[in-house]
Amino acid sequence: MTVALERRSMLRAAGALVLGFTVPLPARQAAAQARPPVQPPMTGGAGTLTAYLSIAPDGAITLFSPTTEMGQGTWTGHVAIVADELGADPTRIAVENPHPDAPYRRDVGAGPAMGSGGSWGVRYWYQPLREASARARAALVAVASERLGVPAGELRAEGHAVVHAASGRRLGFGELAAAAAQRPLPDSATLRPDAELKLIGRGLPRVDIPAKTHGGTIYSIDFRLPGMVYAYAKVSPVFRAELDSFDAASAKAVPGVLDVVAIPGGAAVVANSMWVAMRGGQALKITWKPTPHDAITSADITAAMKDGLAQPQGAVARNDGDIEAALRSAARVVEAEYEVPFLSHTPLEPWNINVRIQGDRLEIWAPTQNQDRLLNRVVRETGWDRDKIRLHTMLQGGGFGRRLYEDMPSAAVIVARAVGRPVKMFWTREDEIGQGWGRPAQMARFRAALDGQGKVTGLWVRTAGTSMNRDFNNFQGDLDASSVQTLNDTRYRTGAYRVDYVRRQAPVPTMPWRSVGATQNGFFMESFLDELAQAAGKDPVELRRELLAHDPRALRVVNTAAEKAGWGTPLPAGHARGFAFVESYGSLCAQVAEVSMVNGRPRVHRVVVALDCGKQVLPDGVRSQIEGGVVQGLSTALGEKLEIREGRVQNANFDGYQVLRTDEAPTQIEAHVIESGERMGGVGEPPIPPITPAVANAVSALVGKRIRKLPIMDALA
Amino acid sequence: MPINLTVNGRPHALDIDPEMPLLWAIRDVLEMTGTKYGCGIAQCGACTVLVEGTAIRSCVTPVSAVDGREVTTIEGLHPENRHALQQAWIEEQVPQCGYCQSGQILAAAALLTAIPKPTDEDIDTAMVGNLCRCGTYPRIRAAIKRAAGTGV
Repeated sequence: MTVALERRSMLRAAGALVLGFTVPLPARQAAAQARPPVQPPMTGGAGTLTAYLSIAPDGAITLFSPTTEMGQGTWTGHVAIVADELGADPTRIAVENPHPDAPYRRDVGAGPAMGSGGSWGVRYWYQPLREASARARAALVAVASERLGVPAGELRAEGHAVVHAASGRRLGFGELAAAAAQRPLPDSATLRPDAELKLIGRGLPRVDIPAKTHGGTIYSIDFRLPGMVYAYAKVSPVFRAELDSFDAASAKAVPGVLDVVAIPGGAAVVANSMWVAMRGGQALKITWKPTPHDAITSADITAAMKDGLAQPQGAVARNDGDIEAALRSAARVVEAEYEVPFLSHTPLEPWNINVRIQGDRLEIWAPTQNQDRLLNRVVRETGWDRDKIRLHTMLQGGGFGRRLYEDMPSAAVIVARAVGRPVKMFWTREDEIGQGWGRPAQMARFRAALDGQGKVTGLWVRTAGTSMNRDFNNFQGDLDASSVQTLNDTRYRTGAYRVDYVRRQAPVPTMPWRSVGATQNGFFMESFLDELAQAAGKDPVELRRELLAHDPRALRVVNTAAEKAGWGTPLPAGHARGFAFVESYGSLCAQVAEVSMVNGRPRVHRVVVALDCGKQVLPDGVRSQIEGGVVQGLSTALGEKLEIREGRVQNANFDGYQVLRTDEAPTQIEAHVIESGERMGGVGEPPIPPITPAVANAVSALVGKRIRKLPIMDALA
Repeated sequence: MPINLTVNGRPHALDIDPEMPLLWAIRDVLEMTGTKYGCGIAQCGACTVLVEGTAIRSCVTPVSAVDGREVTTIEGLHPENRHALQQAWIEEQVPQCGYCQSGQILAAAALLTAIPKPTDEDIDTAMVGNLCRCGTYPRIRAAIKRAAGTGV
């Protein structure tokens, strides 16, 4: 399988067509338009069984996965699903990313679009891929039934073949596929019973890992075309500034610089290599127009958010009971304010995009997780005929939401047109961090009412800050759902409950960052619950049990984490535990962090995670996402923030933007996955939100001072 | 004057700007892409290669500084890509996105050459310069110990 993946990459790299059995695109597209995603089209091409599967005469299967593989492992999940249902050998399945088309689009409420986000990759495609595979299997069995002259009921699909056990005869999938593809697929087919599943729930090694151990993976930044030139896109370090002027000669003085092309927001320095293009970019004399925020600082942004918290009215997301009456009649009111900074995704592969124009055909090779959005933008901005564009999605050097946005695809088209050659357009690390598109800074104010017995009788949560969806989706309303995410649909019952939001837009561009609003709101809520427990004289976990007393599923997650971590049992001197519970993307996650202070910095020794994601396909893949989520979340807890001054990011590389390193990563991350049998939840994002408050709660207990601001090192300063 | 460089056992005489960082000589001139650009300032380790067994950050190493030296990139670590670390990386299912892993594996290779049985502190010291944004550090540590025969 590794070989297949790599060979494909090389074929792509050589600009050659992919394997010959792939159906010609127009037929597949035409057929695809007619039916919704859950009813994959019958294409009629040789060996093509549904839009998701193609089987070559030698039995090699190509799986057209609608998801973008960014390291989260969904391709392997899809291989497991297909192999199990089909009865195929998973090592003979290679995965391809198809061009956007109806069968590859998912609709989770905003209309059909091809893309990967919201931790949907396995939970959305599980059923469609099983159904498609079952229909393909039925078609293979039907052909075998005719050839062997035995009833279909006597045949089984297993081991990459259709087998007649009574006579010991078998026909390989490769022998059957072409004939099976000639006839209409059955409209439906019975899925295998659970007892026959060998991979789903047990897992298999990740299909993309071997190549990643020897440099064999071709990422977008590695991709080359004959005659390709390299364009460094120089844009303003001040957010959103428009180009004033540039002096092309200043860059062309650098040997190897071929051209300087004006693009929206700046200039592209075109050269014969990436390094020369960067050097040309450094030499380029360029100015941008003033902006209203040329002098803005992080402190200004904080002040604006505080003003938002102080407003008497906000856009109301939830208003149960009479919160004002509850606060008036409370025996005690507990209040606290919290703040989180802008975060950068910093995938290790900086943004880049490859384009080639041949006549009226446009080909794009991009590290995108939002295929239709990227194409729509190119069409909108360049007027290119959508049917004449081909988008190749590359394996990605990290995503975390960052690849949902499409930076300057049209600028790359402008440059390719101007120079008449294929172009790789790219950013440096400083641009990748400095251009923003991060998680929004946000503040929250909590006011809770306690009665004489320490019972919570009311809670009012106000959040304030940048509306991420205004930047990312041109959302024009007052209530950005991401700014109240996880607060508006919390399982906690607090009596009267109000959640509202006041928008205070900063100029820093923002977009979804892995687990989105759950990152900040999970920190806010779970930190405040610890404060509330302290005020009420209760154990933090006990308070959560009280607020979740009506909810056995949530209690089980909370109790699992607490019990496995030994909550309440003695710890070494100088150690403390912190607890947090956050539900996001359909999964419930509780975490206990054991922390001590070492040389003034929190050291996280052990993290115990309980995750109820309903059902898991790849258990080790789930563990991998839990471990990665804990480490990435801890990174934001300890050191990550964008420092804004003079209208720009001041810490735009890894010397200033502090990503967690191995010496501070927990060595013990214990994952306890609960397969509750509830609807399948996401796995990529839900492990992130609880770790930050769990660590902050432990640190607060250790230092005797509440951590109300992230990163923790700022709060301790 | 060309720069003489041996990469993965193959000698090259490169007629290039001596200031060009080794990273870009490897990627742009020799067209080997397993060595990655991540930061350009020796902070992330994605560009790590071995110069005669020692891990260096190729993004800040002028190619002239390795004139006459032997460089090993991830493509040359083992002729069949079956170095003990590469096998351990697969067994422990380490990579997620994979972009940093060439540098991680080469940093680990230099560590095991210098210290065949590293402690956790040795691993911290050797690997602290290699960022992994996906957070695979626990698995990297486990894989190093597996390859060293000290863990699992």
